[in-house]
Amino acid sequence: MVMPQELARALELRPRRTWRTTKNTIMTGLLGGAVVVVAIPLVLVMISVFAKGGAILFAHFPKFLTADIPPTRVAGPGMGPAIIGTLMITGMATVIAVPLGVMGAIYLHEYGGQSKFAQLVRFMAMVMTGVPSIVMGLFIYIVWTLNFKLQGFGGALALACLMLPIVISASEQMLKLVPNGLREASYALGATKARTILTIVLPAASSGIVSGSLLAVARAAGETAPLLFTIGATRVLNTSLFHGDDTALSARIFENAKEAVASAQERGWGAALALVLLTFTLTVIARVITALATRRK
Amino acid sequence: MKTWIAILASSTALFAVSCKKGEDKGTPKMTEGSDKGAMKPEPSGPVSLSASGSTFQKAFEEIAMDSFMKSHPDIKLTYGGGGSGKGRQDLADMVVDFAGSDSKYKDEDKAKIKGGDVLYFPILLGGITVSYNVQGADNLNLSPDTVAKIFQGDIKKWNDPAIVADNKGAKLPAEAIVVVHRADGSGTTDNFTKYLDTASGGAWKLESGSTVDWPKDTQAGQGNGGVAQIVSSTKGAIGYVDLSDAKAAKLHYANIKNKNGKFVEPTADSASAAGDGIDVKDDLTFSALDAKGDAAYPITYQSWVIVYAKQADPKKGAALKQYLSYLIGDAQKELPGLDFAPLPKSLQDKAVAQLAKIQ
Amino acid sequence: MTTKPDLSGNRQLGDKAFGGLAIGAAALVLLILALIAITMTNRARPVLGHMGLDFFTSSKWSEHDNIFGALPFIWGTVYTAAIAVVLAVPVSIGVALFITQIAPPWLKRPLVYLIDLLAVVPSVVFGLWGVLMLAPHLNRSFLTAGIILAIMIVPIITSLAREVIETTAQSDKEAAYALGATRWEMINAAVIPHAKGGLVGAVMLGLGRAMGETIAAALVIGSSAQIALNPLKSGDSMPAVIANQWGEASDLQKSALIGLAVTLFAMTIIVNLVASRIVQRSMQKTRGA
Repeated sequence: MVMPQELARALELRPRRTWRTTKNTIMTGLLGGAVVVVAIPLVLVMISVFAKGGAILFAHFPKFLTADIPPTRVAGPGMGPAIIGTLMITGMATVIAVPLGVMGAIYLHEYGGQSKFAQLVRFMAMVMTGVPSIVMGLFIYIVWTLNFKLQGFGGALALACLMLPIVISASEQMLKLVPNGLREASYALGATKARTILTIVLPAASSGIVSGSLLAVARAAGETAPLLFTIGATRVLNTSLFHGDDTALSARIFENAKEAVASAQERGWGAALALVLLTFTLTVIARVITALATRRK
Repeated sequence: MKTWIAILASSTALFAVSCKKGEDKGTPKMTEGSDKGAMKPEPSGPVSLSASGSTFQKAFEEIAMDSFMKSHPDIKLTYGGGGSGKGRQDLADMVVDFAGSDSKYKDEDKAKIKGGDVLYFPILLGGITVSYNVQGADNLNLSPDTVAKIFQGDIKKWNDPAIVADNKGAKLPAEAIVVVHRADGSGTTDNFTKYLDTASGGAWKLESGSTVDWPKDTQAGQGNGGVAQIVSSTKGAIGYVDLSDAKAAKLHYANIKNKNGKFVEPTADSASAAGDGIDVKDDLTFSALDAKGDAAYPITYQSWVIVYAKQADPKKGAALKQYLSYLIGDAQKELPGLDFAPLPKSLQDKAVAQLAKIQ
Repeated sequence: MTTKPDLSGNRQLGDKAFGGLAIGAAALVLLILALIAITMTNRARPVLGHMGLDFFTSSKWSEHDNIFGALPFIWGTVYTAAIAVVLAVPVSIGVALFITQIAPPWLKRPLVYLIDLLAVVPSVVFGLWGVLMLAPHLNRSFLTAGIILAIMIVPIITSLAREVIETTAQSDKEAAYALGATRWEMINAAVIPHAKGGLVGAVMLGLGRAMGETIAAALVIGSSAQIALNPLKSGDSMPAVIANQWGEASDLQKSALIGLAVTLFAMTIIVNLVASRIVQRSMQKTRGA
């Protein structure tokens, strides 16, 4: 039952307007203002990326994604090598980091528990997430690129090092959520630990692990610094990760951001749009998987 | 269990496939009996040549490589830029097949060159502009000692008497000057500072070289393109940018007082005029700075392609020779369109003759 | 799927092998970190031998004279990160409070998505926007870099702040209301004192992230090795100078740049460690309540 205002006030059920309530309103306004302040740069950046990037990406639809990168001064679409480069390098990094990360998480949760070693590994994984990406890039330069020259695989290694601790932490969280009852039932039926993990635990945690990994992939796809020292630069398509210079969207955006000519800057925006669409798609898929999984439960 | 094995197997297969694909496109193997003379003109199988260095010649290299690759589909070329210093370093380390550089190797760096003797092939001439971004000044005249004082921080504001003296009638604001220079080891910096050293009548105190100890409160860009970008997006900025990049970035640039006392605008023609009187040494190096002549632009410089005289891989060597003769031959007609000056005929002939020295 | 119990030794072997793989993968983390520390300090040794401790205290950086002092870049890193934190913290905490305390349920989810979107945008895209859209108006300086960094660390601080705030005991909040507090007063009395520790930790994590950010800083900071208090002056930061100068650095210079990387590594690790300790402790405190 809704009370009319006068009655409510008469019964002193609504606060009178005092300094305190005014202060409350002001602070509420400020907090709402904070949200607006956060929204502004996001909106501005998205407008620029979609408007300027869209102008070249959608106007020249398939060509932008497939053509080789034209010379800096020449206007025109073309980011094919960079897109393939990002997909291949990030893909290889995923192939390396996800299995290793999941296995690491399996060790931490299923074998190590709270042992000193497991605690050390957990701690170090957390430290590793804080390593600046440029330090990872230099590290791989020293141990890999100096021996094997510039190639896409070096970049993949650097990205894998960035992804590994993220995948470990996320996967461990997912493994924790699998009810112990499932494991015990499996042991009771005579299965080995390995079999239990592979056939019972992992499938149960799979949606969480997949969505966590997708988020790590999205993060890796956007990284630039680790690639700067390891993959070189090329304008033409390179289908091998092991021979010759490669390029990627993030590196290309960085290069084009330093150019003065409109032709290069246009392509930079287009590449930025492609990269943003890629990372958004990965993130959305990850969220959808999580949503579907929780709904099923 | 089975799904995991399947995943493992398919990723290993993917791995192997990408390795193999690479090998097909990789560096060609040595052909037998190819050590002496007789270079086959047309190499069979794909050849990759990589280069890095001067951003001055970068625009030309990219366009030349683009059209060369269209007519020679089995040769892959990449030019990485990064500044003349990087080019020389990469060539010395044998990380690239040729270097673009606006300056020679310094004597103390010659010992680090791993692959033996190098040859210098000049490929173009052009002007270094003093570009700026300030309201009320579309056509500034600047004399070398003013330029020197601006870039070393002695002149701090746009309406300084020294600038006004050469520009009667221009309404210059009291804005602060933001000096922009190169962050990377640059042949453009080298030539620009050499010019200030010789032509500013003692005003320039910061020495010359690929890198210079610029004063504080300046800004740095990567490559000519980077400096051009900073100048075009920073109010009150002034920087040195080669003409080709300055025009592409739509910058305003100054007319510089040359040795004959005339204020000359940087153009392809005034650069050619400066190139007319150069004194070319035997190794095809020279300097076009502070040239004589009424029409000569005083800050004209040049860029070379540096290669090893002895080529380890005959296939690459042959491809290199082909590309080089294109650069100093047919590709020269692209230069005016990019605001560079082509090689003077006598120099071009000498360069073509030097091609024979590549083994 | 029913299987006959397999009593052969293969089963045990397979089980042990799997366990071995798992331990190996976990140990990889330790191996990589150790390798990073060892190889990089090794490569930094030449410059430390050349400069001694002056490497950390000298403010001169000159390839020309072979003198490499890291101080201007340490300053630039710390200063831009500090500016970023000063700009980002009030906004992030404000947003976190808004989402958790004020927003009606239909608004909460979209707001959380908004923050997540901000987190997903790659830093190089912010860098591109900063260079081409912001720098023409603001020029390149510590401040411009700080602004871009602030935009990038807002999602981190907000997410963590949200988590910490949501651990406030409902009973505490109701107690405040029961005493007649307005919503803001309740926040002041129940939420903030409780979340204070966690918020500090969140801020420090954001600080760590800002210090390590390379690309955005490299593009808009001005690339000038100077130590200045005026935020409108141009400067440089450790990751930015590494990214910009690596390409054609001489051997000694490369060693100096690696020395910068090691310094950056050490600084960000310390900040992150302190931060997570603080966050952990505050989360523990609340679970007890």
